[in-house]
Amino acid sequence: MIVTTTWFLLLAAALFSIGVAGVLIRRNALVMFMSIELMLNAVNLTFVAVSRELGLIEGQVAALFVMVVAATEVTVGLAIVVAVFRTRASANVDELAEMKG
Amino acid sequence: MGNAALLPVAFEVILIAGALLVLMVAVIADRRRSVWAPIAGVAYLAAAAAGILQWRAVAESGGDLYFSTPDIVIVRSPMVVMDGFSAFAAILLGLLGFVALLGSWDLVVRLGKRSAEFVALGLLAVAGLHMMAATPNLIVIFIGLETASISFYILAGFIRGSRASDESALKYFLLGSLASAMFLYGIALTFAATGSLTIYGANSIRDFFSVAIITEPGILLAGLALMLAGLFFKVSAAPFHQWAPDVYQGAPSAAVGLMAAGIKVAAFAALARIFIGGFISQIDAWAPIIGVVAALSMVVGTTMALVQTDLKRLLAYSGVAHSGYLLATFVGGVEGVPPMWFYVSTYAFMVVGAFTIVSVVNGPAAHAAPISSFKGLAKRSPEMGWLLAIIMFGLSGMPFFAGFVGKVFAFVVAGEAGFLWLVVIGTLATVVGLAFYLKVVATIFAPDESGEGLEASTSARIAIAISATVTVVFGIVPWPLLEVVRDALPI
Repeated sequence: MIVTTTWFLLLAAALFSIGVAGVLIRRNALVMFMSIELMLNAVNLTFVAVSRELGLIEGQVAALFVMVVAATEVTVGLAIVVAVFRTRASANVDELAEMKG
Repeated sequence: MGNAALLPVAFEVILIAGALLVLMVAVIADRRRSVWAPIAGVAYLAAAAAGILQWRAVAESGGDLYFSTPDIVIVRSPMVVMDGFSAFAAILLGLLGFVALLGSWDLVVRLGKRSAEFVALGLLAVAGLHMMAATPNLIVIFIGLETASISFYILAGFIRGSRASDESALKYFLLGSLASAMFLYGIALTFAATGSLTIYGANSIRDFFSVAIITEPGILLAGLALMLAGLFFKVSAAPFHQWAPDVYQGAPSAAVGLMAAGIKVAAFAALARIFIGGFISQIDAWAPIIGVVAALSMVVGTTMALVQTDLKRLLAYSGVAHSGYLLATFVGGVEGVPPMWFYVSTYAFMVVGAFTIVSVVNGPAAHAAPISSFKGLAKRSPEMGWLLAIIMFGLSGMPFFAGFVGKVFAFVVAGEAGFLWLVVIGTLATVVGLAFYLKVVATIFAPDESGEGLEASTSARIAIAISATVTVVFGIVPWPLLEVVRDALPI
């Protein structure tokens, strides 16, 4: 059995879908946040697989850039979650309902 | 080559150096006086001046400082592009940043030592915003988007211990990151389909479309759709708009002006760069999607704004409707870019002015801005009352105000492209929209017994006066600006 690039692209699409579903369904801010990281890693897998298939270096470089961006998102995102946890003692997004209309 | 090689990135270099300088000065300076805020103002103005130099260099060079194709008169490399499009974005974003800084001065003063971070984040965000307009590389567009977005997440949550501000930041962060990830997956799928991440030059997306015949467009279409969805989210176009009212309301009023106006300028610039610069040959595939989203945004934004009782939420929903009008220019292809620039540049100043007035009336850090608090504003402070009325007229699209000119040109372009139904919906939405803008104006001029005087700081008054001037001047004599934006094309 030969594992072709298509397999990787399908795996990445599945991971990305799981990530989207996680953000939309789960109610814990940290779990939603992890789902977003899963989406970014699915993108990285796509970049690297395509890069290898086409023999281009750009995709692998792109994956490195995405990792750095994901890391900066983690620092800011965790800080925001901690700030919310301090004022509410909960990371459940359903309790975020100060504003309506 | 020395200076010529630095000029295309001068805008970003000046702003990032300014941000670092602000942070360093804040460490050593006297903490009671915000000496770093004037540094930021100078950086914004210097960056706008760099934009003017870029504009002149583009006009004079005839084009080939790096490499270019014979029919295109611009300077470009695979990572940075300097053309009329990026130079106009630089001038606009530099001036916008400056006006927004003036508008947020009250908050800067109140924040004390922390205002250094506030000011530096604004500078970094504007640098990221311009990066989105000044690159032909999709990954660099993404990095610019994230630089700006991450700064904005922090600015939204800048008021410590405020539950509304925290909530605003978390909502913006979670949904914004979701949108960024979708945009990025769109880039990855486009890369899979075309084998390129660059819009112009050798082995670019344009190259690909000029030689290749696409037999199975599935991956490419999915990529385009995901990139569109990501950018629709960033400009709060319906149905991706639910975050905007909560985020705008919870964030400090003084920061919302830059957040709301800046991201619209940059995201529409990126949309034009990618879709009109790179995928113009696929316009039949993406124009109908943009048309439907535009119509939906106009309808949803206008109807939801009708029932709002808070001015910040009202402005958020009005922003959704304005995204619709702006998107309507895109169905016209490259013809739509000058109207898009005219609309977004006048709209950006109106938004900054409106949020500055909100921060004057309700306090720069407050999250609630009930429309009832503007009752009798014309009596409490005739100046603020009239200026807010002018900006409301401008946003509503009244004749003799800039919003009207922008809408007319947007509708003409959409009509010529064959999207007559979009023009009809847009006109109806504009007429219905008058209701809520005029409701605000009526509230301003309503008699109010309890009216106590209202003091606005000089900087806030200057910021509001500039935005009202833009609204009036380009409403009466739009030709100079229209002349300029005609040369600001992403092709």
